[in-house]
Amino acid sequence: MASTRIPPSPETQADATPAATSAGFLANKARFRFFGLTLDGCIKAFFGGNAVVAVLVLTLITIFLFKEGGGFFAQNRANLQIYRQAGLEYVDFIRAQTTGHTALTHELSDLRLRQFHRLTEAGKSLAEANAALAGFDEFANQFGDAIIPLRGLLSDLTETATALKSKFATTENLKIARQQLLAAGKTAEADKIVISEVNFDAELKPLLGTLPAYQAASAETAAKITAALTVKPALPTPELQARLEQFKMLAAAYVADFPAVEKNLRAWDYRQPVPFFRSITSFIFGRDWIAQSSWQEWYGILPLFVGSLMVSFVALLFAVPLGIGAAIYINQLASPAEQRIVKPCIEFISAIPSVVLGFFGVIFLGENLRLLSQQSWLAWVPGFPFSERLNILTAGCLLALIAVPTIFTLAEDSLNNVPRAFKEASFALGASRLQTIIKVIVPASLSGIISAVLLGLGRVIGETMVVLLCAGNRIAIPDFTAGLAVITQPVHTMTGLIAQEMGEVPVGSIGRHALFMIGLVLFFLSLLINWLAQKIVRRYRIAID
Amino acid sequence: MSAATLSPMERLPAPPPSSPSLAVAPVAAMSAPAADLPPSRPIIDIDHVDFFYGQSQALHDVSLRLDEKKVTAFIGPSGCGKSTLLRCLNRMNDLIDGARVAKGSIRIRGIDIHAPAVDVIELRKRVGMVFQKSNPFPKSIYENITYGLRLQGVKDKGRLDAVVEKSLRGAALWDEVKDRLHASGLGLSGGQQQRLCIARAIAVEPDIILMDEPCSALDPISTSKVEELIHELKKEFTIVIVTHNMQQAARCSDQTAFFYLGRLIEFAATRTIFMNPSNPQTEAYVSGRFG
Ligand SMILES: Nc1ncnc2c1ncn2[C@@H]1O[C@H](COP(=O)(O)OP(=O)(O)OP(=O)(O)O)[C@@H](O)[C@H]1O
Ligand SMILES: [Mg+2]
Repeated sequence: MASTRIPPSPETQADATPAATSAGFLANKARFRFFGLTLDGCIKAFFGGNAVVAVLVLTLITIFLFKEGGGFFAQNRANLQIYRQAGLEYVDFIRAQTTGHTALTHELSDLRLRQFHRLTEAGKSLAEANAALAGFDEFANQFGDAIIPLRGLLSDLTETATALKSKFATTENLKIARQQLLAAGKTAEADKIVISEVNFDAELKPLLGTLPAYQAASAETAAKITAALTVKPALPTPELQARLEQFKMLAAAYVADFPAVEKNLRAWDYRQPVPFFRSITSFIFGRDWIAQSSWQEWYGILPLFVGSLMVSFVALLFAVPLGIGAAIYINQLASPAEQRIVKPCIEFISAIPSVVLGFFGVIFLGENLRLLSQQSWLAWVPGFPFSERLNILTAGCLLALIAVPTIFTLAEDSLNNVPRAFKEASFALGASRLQTIIKVIVPASLSGIISAVLLGLGRVIGETMVVLLCAGNRIAIPDFTAGLAVITQPVHTMTGLIAQEMGEVPVGSIGRHALFMIGLVLFFLSLLINWLAQKIVRRYRIAID
Repeated sequence: MSAATLSPMERLPAPPPSSPSLAVAPVAAMSAPAADLPPSRPIIDIDHVDFFYGQSQALHDVSLRLDEKKVTAFIGPSGCGKSTLLRCLNRMNDLIDGARVAKGSIRIRGIDIHAPAVDVIELRKRVGMVFQKSNPFPKSIYENITYGLRLQGVKDKGRLDAVVEKSLRGAALWDEVKDRLHASGLGLSGGQQQRLCIARAIAVEPDIILMDEPCSALDPISTSKVEELIHELKKEFTIVIVTHNMQQAARCSDQTAFFYLGRLIEFAATRTIFMNPSNPQTEAYVSGRFG
């Protein structure tokens, strides 16, 4: 009997939306059977099915991320291997040496600028000031020119190494092409491709042969710098004089390091294989992310990771006091009328699309923050004035807006869960409202508040549009020596970079796999944050019950 | 009670001679003290109080004078306003929106507690409260007891330690918890938690302790412990206890007030209320024929 009640055509069942079917359920309540399932069974199957779909999707995403990201490390190892084989690593030893010199000359020009200001402030004309600095300029020029021999050598070596690398790349491409032809069964065409393996040993000979030239150049540079350091230009103030002395010590230390560079060059061997863990460590601890380069590509996540953390940190700096303060006010102090107005307003913020916030940041907030920072009466604020319109601060302010509703709502919930009896007990002992809030209500809901903050962090770390538009997108670890001013520097973030690059990287390329690795890092970061938040909340529940 | 412990109350400003809440000329309409008791100093003087929750009136013209260092029991059927009156005494009803004493006055040691100059925080230090459901803070036993004192700015460790021991002994809990003073107060049994709340209330040395059905959630043994405790506390404190348990009222109280539908029906010595009530409603209630 029951079987005749089964809707006859399977198509209509498949088409039926859940709502429609459930309406059907109501009509045939008593006798309904669906593939032998009762009404309860169907409802259970429907909801159970949804749960299964959720788990399935999560699994698929995880597998997909691992599959796409997993290829990265092998590719990165090959990338590092060719860096060594083609002699780029060798050349970079010398490059590091010249970079050290460049940093020192920057310091010198900074010193000069300051002196110049002192002099003009003291009423000297430009010509007079320049004349007074003639001694210093001579010193600086002498120091600056000292690097010329090394630099000449470096540019020659760079060319050699680049040529060798591109030769290798061509060979590899040919190999791939032949492989494809073979796979397609076009043996004749494949055979036409002639591949001559790169003979690194022979190709690197000229490069390694420059060692005597390097020794000569390095010695010349060292001698010139040492000679320059004996000159003692006089500076207008003791403070700057002290800085010059410090500079001289740095320069002396820099020269003292030359033998170490030479030792590195001698010890260098292109045949030494790059261990696999280097591929991993260079990703985790690498300080450069350079995806397109004629020289060498680097995939170090550190600048992006630090960028994401900095932006989120600044966001939380604003959002935590705001969100928690508002939650305490609304939950404990506000009148019902205020509650009715403020609560929906805060919750509405989360309805603003993040691209709109980002847009607002680009065309309004960034520019106005910069103008504000240039007000002379705000000069005491660390980092003010700043010149970058888009920076950590701009992005952080907007991300704070995104985090506030999350933190507010969850913190308010947990304040709400504090038993009323605690509040009454506190009042009955002669506590004021404020004392009750600080000593009883907040401590009792602390775990809930902490997990609210954590989930707020999860929310901003995963946020993409705002940081892409407003963080300034400069891939570099911000300069923490600047102190608090660090928050006025531009950064790039993990999410921002993925969004920016994903459309441009070719399938199968190392760049694409690297982006998926970032995705994996983000995925696990969010997982960790959520797990922590849940753990904390659970502990709190047990404590209260 | 020493003069020193009374001083905060005495520091309360005297009420203005004609405060608005005294509009009904209280002296003339002063209620009689409980009949057939030797006259003693009234500490709480409730005078023609009408109380409203928003629009609904919960107390009708209640007048009552409670004596110092006596135990007074409030009895009556559910919803008759016992808790409401109790919570008026330390102005806990202030926390409820729209709750107000519309008429009459409540004086403690002669001071109108609704006078604008009265500091409600000071009042609550003098009038402690123990709730129906034990509600220790989710803190250690030690912190629970020192909470009130710390609010008053007491930091001296020696003094706090002494108060913790004195209060726990006073609440007959010392021997059970002395080895785990820094364990959570929520880890105690229900009866112990309630005694902890009593210890917490007496730690600030109030004059008056209000107890709203303190034993209703306890087993018989814990209940009898709390009852013994009330006997002890009576030596130092004035106690007002709300109870549904007739035996309890009979056992621990000196005087009893019977309420019905927001009105005070009868107020007399406990023995009189239970043996020889003058009002038939009282008689019916205490003999268990309604309620
Ligand atoms: N917060 C409140 N808001 C509105 N009405 C209330 C509130 N609290 C109590 N009432 C009402 O006031 C009246 C007296 O309540 P009260 O709690 O004082 O009774 P009770 O005698 O303590 O009863 P019980 O023995 O059940 O505790 C009841 O009718 C109750 O519904
Ligand atoms: Mg009650």
